[in-house]
Amino acid sequence: MGRYIVRRLLWVVVLVFAVVTLTFVIFSVLPSADPARLRAGRSPNQQLVKDIRHRFKLDKPIYVQYGKYIGDLVTNLDFGHSYQNDTDVLDEILKRLPATISLAIGGAIVWLIMGISVGIVSAIYRRSVLDRVAMGLSLVAISAPVFWLGLVALYVFADDIGKIPILPGAGSYVPLTDDPVEWFTSLILPWCVLAAAFAAIYARLLRGNLIETMSEDYIRTARAKGLSERKVILKHGLRSAITPVVSALGLDLGLLLAGNAILTETVFNIPGIGRLSYNAIINSDLPTIEGVVLFGALFIVVLNLIVDIAYAFIDPRVRYT
Amino acid sequence: MTEVPLLQVDDLHVTFDTEDGLVRAVDGVSFTVERGKTLGIVGESGSGKSVTSLTIMGLTRGPATQISGSAVLEGTDLVSASNEHLREVRSNDVAMVFQDPLSSLHPFYQVGSQLVEAIQTHQHVSRAQAFDRAGELLELVGIPDARRRLLSYPHEFSGGMRQRAMIAMALANDPKVLIADEPTTALDVTVQAQILELIARLQAELGMGVVIITHDLGVVAETADEIAVMYAGRIVEEARTDTLFDAPEHPYTWGLLESIPKLTGPREEELIPIPGRPPSLINRPSGCSFHPRCPYVREAHKRVDPQLEPVPGDAGHRTACLLVPEVRRELWSKLKAGAEPEKARAEVPLRDEEDLERRDADGLSQDAGLDAPRR
Amino acid sequence: MRRSALRIPMAVCAGGLAALVIAACGGGGGGGGGQAKTAAPEGAQKGGTLTVLSNADVDYIDCGAAYYQFSYQVEYAMCRPLYSYKPETRGLPDPDVASGPAQVSDDGKTVTVKMKSGIKFGPPVNREVTSKDVKYAIERGFNKSVANGYASAYFGDVQGAEDAAKKADGSPIDGLVTPDDHTIVFKLTKPTGTAVAEALGLPLSTPVPPEYAKPLDAKTPSEYGNHLVATGPYMIPNDKSGKLTGYEPMKNITLVRNPNWDAKTDYRPAYLDKIVVKEGVDPDVGSRQIVDGQNLVNGDFTPPPAILKQVATTKKDQLLLIPSGGGRFMSFNFKVKPFDDINVRKAVIAGMDRNALRLTRGGPVIGPIMQHQIPPEIPGFEEAGGNNPPPEADWLKNPAGDKTVMAKYFKAAGMSSGKYEGSDKILVVGDDSGVGGRAAEVAASQLEDMGFKLNFRQVPHSTMYTKFCNVPKAQVSFCPNTGWFKDFFDAQTLLDPTFNGSNILQENNSNWPQMDDPTVNKLLDQGKVTVDRAKRAQMFAEADKRITDLAPNVPWVWDKQPNIASKNVAAVGSSFNATIDLNFTSIKK
Repeated sequence: MGRYIVRRLLWVVVLVFAVVTLTFVIFSVLPSADPARLRAGRSPNQQLVKDIRHRFKLDKPIYVQYGKYIGDLVTNLDFGHSYQNDTDVLDEILKRLPATISLAIGGAIVWLIMGISVGIVSAIYRRSVLDRVAMGLSLVAISAPVFWLGLVALYVFADDIGKIPILPGAGSYVPLTDDPVEWFTSLILPWCVLAAAFAAIYARLLRGNLIETMSEDYIRTARAKGLSERKVILKHGLRSAITPVVSALGLDLGLLLAGNAILTETVFNIPGIGRLSYNAIINSDLPTIEGVVLFGALFIVVLNLIVDIAYAFIDPRVRYT
Repeated sequence: MTEVPLLQVDDLHVTFDTEDGLVRAVDGVSFTVERGKTLGIVGESGSGKSVTSLTIMGLTRGPATQISGSAVLEGTDLVSASNEHLREVRSNDVAMVFQDPLSSLHPFYQVGSQLVEAIQTHQHVSRAQAFDRAGELLELVGIPDARRRLLSYPHEFSGGMRQRAMIAMALANDPKVLIADEPTTALDVTVQAQILELIARLQAELGMGVVIITHDLGVVAETADEIAVMYAGRIVEEARTDTLFDAPEHPYTWGLLESIPKLTGPREEELIPIPGRPPSLINRPSGCSFHPRCPYVREAHKRVDPQLEPVPGDAGHRTACLLVPEVRRELWSKLKAGAEPEKARAEVPLRDEEDLERRDADGLSQDAGLDAPRR
Repeated sequence: MRRSALRIPMAVCAGGLAALVIAACGGGGGGGGGQAKTAAPEGAQKGGTLTVLSNADVDYIDCGAAYYQFSYQVEYAMCRPLYSYKPETRGLPDPDVASGPAQVSDDGKTVTVKMKSGIKFGPPVNREVTSKDVKYAIERGFNKSVANGYASAYFGDVQGAEDAAKKADGSPIDGLVTPDDHTIVFKLTKPTGTAVAEALGLPLSTPVPPEYAKPLDAKTPSEYGNHLVATGPYMIPNDKSGKLTGYEPMKNITLVRNPNWDAKTDYRPAYLDKIVVKEGVDPDVGSRQIVDGQNLVNGDFTPPPAILKQVATTKKDQLLLIPSGGGRFMSFNFKVKPFDDINVRKAVIAGMDRNALRLTRGGPVIGPIMQHQIPPEIPGFEEAGGNNPPPEADWLKNPAGDKTVMAKYFKAAGMSSGKYEGSDKILVVGDDSGVGGRAAEVAASQLEDMGFKLNFRQVPHSTMYTKFCNVPKAQVSFCPNTGWFKDFFDAQTLLDPTFNGSNILQENNSNWPQMDDPTVNKLLDQGKVTVDRAKRAQMFAEADKRITDLAPNVPWVWDKQPNIASKNVAAVGSSFNATIDLNFTSIKK
């Protein structure tokens, strides 16, 4: 197992490198805003644009820019400076990561609890009214755009604009270290909104898998041993049915940490990676984009590795050499 | 019957309500299991043999299932018992061993844990004690290096060892009845013999009543004391083992016996399978359910349903066939001598039971309808 | 022209909510109809905290580098230029650090400004402001580490400025003379003194202490922004070394009272004790928070139409519509077929339903139909025709479009059917989202109705400008999302960068038509060096007529900028900026 992990970690490096390179290529090929022209303002001044371009080294050929970027990255862990506001990219990303992590992990806890419990109940009482209602609602939750759901949540529950003002509204996020209570309450609505679609997907996933699992022979054996139905489902059935949920969790969390939570972050004004990446893209801020992409790739790949290892613990038939 | 039987099953009916219709999986089955004795239940797939035993354990209960009849275990009827009671009975009084030990053991848990689970469900012992007991059980079923093996996973065992482990698990709480459903089907021939030997030995040591369910007569030839042959949800013949093999009195049993390859016969001799397929349990054939496949069918057989009745001279031997006993015995002697069914049929004039006319409401002439089923 | 204040909110990119509004360019100023409160209410109360909700960040926190409408809104609370605009001012800016109006010599080549005494820099500099600080402020604008976007445009005529621009290292400009601590003289190479005097109303003239800023400006980019020293009533909290502690880029900006500000030297009442700018706010959510909440106003975003409608009907006292002092128009490219033919251009303008275009932003309430190039409230507007197009421009007569006139011009271009008959696809590049996107789509479909075959591309706003419409090499035939807004109340700022042949640039070009008409150039160049304001207005109005006659664009609205405030906020609008003026706004009792 140890050798396997080492090999996978080496692959992480290769993959991240490939992703960074690909981003560079995409950025230089596709038409996006020209950062030098953006910074130069709107007054006629050719020289200004030239100066800015020179400052950003955009006047050098693309492979030179690329080489410099990789060089700085590898030797100093220097991610460069934002074209927009000259802040240090690594600093900015690290400052924003805690918010996205808070959102993603909290959301994951919520959707796991909801998704797994609904999935189990639906599987046990399949085709009952309860099951049909639950699956119907889950379809709604999956189809509802996150943004819409977020707005609805605010319009109903936010303490500044909602009809039933019980929870902090948009923009009330504070870091955990500043005020744990406020941090927690400000994240309740975002967690629920973020978790809604995922919970629904996981519920459906688990339900289907659990129904299949419950028809396996070893379930029959468990019953034949005289175990209570609860034990049969939770100890025997769930353990087998949970494996796709674990893989999905790894992938979903990785994507969220890479910036997929942007819609939720936007509605609730949580200063996370999602918004950072969006602003960077709109302004063709290549250093920030690369930084975000690199971190994102790192998260996704590492989480996949964790998931694979977790698999080996759940299912002893899986062995890595 | 000198003792009170351990398990008495009486007129068991199990019907499943499916989209395609009502499936009468078990259609009036009765038998007993006695202490220290082995009952073999033999039949094709779809004959209802597995459903019968699962129903005894209450594992077929569901919203679409209708169960009637009784299965009395030491004074309590399991068919009408509560789910709670059944859970206490399972693995405690009645234990089951399933066909495929690889799929019947949970792949994610160690064998030892699964054994411990079986033990701790019914006995108030500590985990350490349960573990000890589990080790003993593995030794009992002949698994070498038992203590270390407790930590193995099912996929790390060989097929035979897995089945031994399953048997060990079934014995965890000293059950009174052990039901083995196709215990050897998934195993090699050599291993089969070992497992059957093991079951026989355990029975001798522990005094359980054993039910072996199989489609293979050969499996129960050595180990069963009595054999019940099932077809289309019913028992069509039951007898002591030696009687069944010597003097079977049902065309289906004859077919089963004739289709077993013999070491002693000539090499070129063809096997004689039973023609046709098992009947649908939703739309059962009218009259005798075997009639579409029976080489000796007569018109009346298509309308009258035979009951299980004792054979003259042996109260423990019963069969459900409308042919007259003498005819049956003649047919069997012909078959035993090596004749093919058609030949036997041609040579023996068929006659039905005397009161068949009465039972056949439409009234028919005898000896009519020499419509032998097509091969 | 100042850069657009408004960023594209994420919801628009999500595609789900087309109702979100984006202004292609921010703006301010203009004609009647607005309910802009331009004076504080009687007995306004001092104290309280105001929160400004904004979607994006300022472009630069350094007043000398900023060029964003939203940046000005925030920075005018802490930066005092030589001149600035009281809420009700519609012409020349009012003396701020200056003690009186700028004196422009008769030959227009010298501008003299006298400064007040007793104005101090905020901590940690703490000393009195002198003329040398203003001189340095302008010199650093030419430093490439600061890279002010309009320094060359308005101060390029100062003696020595051209060299300074070439060296771009902030070296002294000898045309900026400081005979004493409270006087600064601008010596010009051309008689453009009138424009220079007005340009002193831009933030570049905010004093900057050289002994403190030079080492910071030596770094590229300059770090002065992170160590900004205030002169206004408010400042961003900083530590002893001057490093800002109250600015988190893209998150928030805090403004507290500047202890060194002397109210006696300033016309600003500065009622609020504290101002917090919260960034990253979604316009939909933020607008609702403002309307339903307390102590809130909007910053860089426009309230979405649905909320605008609600506020305009039921909560009028929470809405400020401020004329933006500019217009939105769709530009033709003279250098690419078929719009090199003036008849084709006239035909398109005649055929366009400009009311429909205006409807995409909200309809008549948003402002009058644009009829020529100088907008309302700018000198020259009335002389150029006011709300009417030039009388001979029959193609502009009917804002709903006139198919007969259109047919006439297509026929004059040689297309006998009265519709466009060319078969080549023309390249049209517009915004991909929000209100801008919709206007582009309406225009595109109208063009198709006229018979054009289009290669219609929709891209993000910033891409549209920097990669397509502002780059002549991209050869875009038609840009539906262009527009221009004033820098100050003078028609030069509206006509020169956009129609003067000498301002056709290969990048960052704002002369979208690439117009190079000798008459226009002459009129503009003459106007720029005219000292007398009335004469200037006349010349620019003539230039306007001539430009409009050349049919360079489809002019469709002189819009007003909507701003909203919470019920308990007595909001006052800035005429200069079309945003809410933080120096005059107060919390109601």
